[in-house]
Amino acid sequence: MVGGILDGVDNREPSPVVAGMVDPAHPPSRRAPLRWAIGGVVPWLLLGGGQAFWIAFDRRLLWLHIALAVVTVLGAVVSLAVVPLWRYRVHRWELGPQAVYTRTGWLVQERRIAPISRVQTVDTYRGPLDRLFGLANVTVTTASSAGAVHIAALDVAVADHLVAQLTDIAAIGAEDAT
Amino acid sequence: MTAQTGWQRLSPRMLLVHPVHELIRELPLLIGGLVLGQTTGNQSWTVAVLALTAVVGVARWVTTSYRIDADPESGQVQLRAGLLHRKVLSVPRNRIRSVQTDARLLHRLLGLAVLRVSTGQEARADHGFELNAVRVDEVPRLRAILLAESSQPVEATTAEPAASSTVLARWQPSWLRYAPLSLSGLLTMAAATGLIYQTGAVGPLQHSRLVESALQAAQRAGIASTVAVIAAAVLVASLLLAVLRSLLTYGNLVLSRQADVLHLRHGTLRLREHTYDMSRLRGGTLRQPLLVRVFGGAGLDAVMTGVHGAGESSVLLPPCPRSTAESVLTGLVGDPNVVTGALRGHGRRAATRRWTRALGLPVLIGAALAVVTARTGTSVVPLWLWTAWLAITAWCALLAADRIGALGHRVDSNWLVMRAGSWERRRDCLATAGIIGWTVRQSPFQRRAGVATLVAATAAGTKRYPLIDVPEDQAWAVAAQASPWVADSIWAIR
Repeated sequence: MVGGILDGVDNREPSPVVAGMVDPAHPPSRRAPLRWAIGGVVPWLLLGGGQAFWIAFDRRLLWLHIALAVVTVLGAVVSLAVVPLWRYRVHRWELGPQAVYTRTGWLVQERRIAPISRVQTVDTYRGPLDRLFGLANVTVTTASSAGAVHIAALDVAVADHLVAQLTDIAAIGAEDAT
Repeated sequence: MTAQTGWQRLSPRMLLVHPVHELIRELPLLIGGLVLGQTTGNQSWTVAVLALTAVVGVARWVTTSYRIDADPESGQVQLRAGLLHRKVLSVPRNRIRSVQTDARLLHRLLGLAVLRVSTGQEARADHGFELNAVRVDEVPRLRAILLAESSQPVEATTAEPAASSTVLARWQPSWLRYAPLSLSGLLTMAAATGLIYQTGAVGPLQHSRLVESALQAAQRAGIASTVAVIAAAVLVASLLLAVLRSLLTYGNLVLSRQADVLHLRHGTLRLREHTYDMSRLRGGTLRQPLLVRVFGGAGLDAVMTGVHGAGESSVLLPPCPRSTAESVLTGLVGDPNVVTGALRGHGRRAATRRWTRALGLPVLIGAALAVVTARTGTSVVPLWLWTAWLAITAWCALLAADRIGALGHRVDSNWLVMRAGSWERRRDCLATAGIIGWTVRQSPFQRRAGVATLVAATAAGTKRYPLIDVPEDQAWAVAAQASPWVADSIWAIR
């Protein structure tokens, strides 16, 4: 029989049994919830403004106005206060000697780990709001579109340090990262 | 760099092919010329259009040339083309991952083949490096040159006699029995119908004698039998089309292996050949759609970097007897346990989730029906509705049971095997060396049930290989067993 795909690769030692993973250590910036809240405020303002405008010109169907107002206020509170704080509690990141590990999400939560030796690019993104709050988002991509690690809302100094560290370690393992 | 030397033209026989393709492409113009010639009584219009297309065809050949740098490490393959918009496509030679050829009928008659080069990373086949066309007898030489770097020993593809290649699988007419089990015939018919509507041929057709006599016949026969006849006709036609399509696409398929190169050729009229570099292979997927599985069949996809994970470009074997697909995959993987070995199931909580997902809606509908019956008497909900509900519920239950039976994984330090699905069952065998990221994902429901979706990220195939509803405490254990860098990381709990 002809050899298989892994011919030439030594059978590695079986890895020790791992019971689980500790969560990554570092939270995002303290200003992150505020930035997330303000980032989502415009649609709610428009919605509230529209309703105020409507009520100013049309006083019939008072129950409908009240119902809509209640729904709007509830929605705004959830998306502008609850969700940013919840996200802040979930979001964590940490850079180890071999890998970068994050926890993200709020309702649906994801923990993602990627080996630094396979990192292809390290991007920093700062939108206008991020700049206002002194924040930066770091994206670490590998050769797989399903493996990109996003670290959101870091303090700029922390992000710069992280990027420098990542590029330092990643430059060592200069193999074909597929 | 070897300066601007070594530019070569494509086969001169394309001087015959180009004008024909040009004519097909410029059909509206040609019709316009004909009409103009008819109305003005001056056929020189038609001649002018014909001459123009011929000239454009010749010009295409004259303006297209390619070159291959001698140095396989830093050299490039370049293609220069374009009549008005000149463009030069350059592909670094050490990036070439697979070479495929494609010969439609006209090309084959003239002994030509289109040669396509695809590079790794982005896995987009339509990046457009294609030599259209070169002589068929030149193809082996070109392929050997182009793949020389990626499969290190050049001798393996050139010097060794062709006898050293082993045939892994050969198409058999009996494989056609799996063809009608796919929806491809129905899809072809839908596409054809859409095309007919788009061309506006429906208007004249509606008033044709054929359609009118058919309508009269339908009126005489009544609605029920008309619908039955039409359904039967559509069914038969779609079955025939599916078989025909499978025969045309996959007929004469031969999958062979020569040292580190996989070679796939298939097609009865339009001949296609793919050459894959084995060092880019990260595993394989056994695909078993429900109906194909019932009849003991399976298809095989390659999981490879530089080749799109879904669709025709990654197919190694179309639906064929399961034993064939399994033995081919075993040959590629080198470990029979990976392909046929028993899997570890995902336990009771994953099973419960399958049941609630499959039966949730039917049970709700059933309850609603029961409430309506209880309140208004039996007259409102007819018996056939209950029968239909019963049939659908039973079907959902069977599907859930089948999905539970499918769910499982198997992991060692070399291979990760994942199986899931009922309607589209697949068994993904993934080399752990190719996994470059892990995600553990939990929705609120999954958190409550204590299960998680583990996603292996790789640069090959579909990039994302999910393992659904693994027990929470096993998810990271699987990842750590497959990837030592997870087990050795500072976060691992031993």
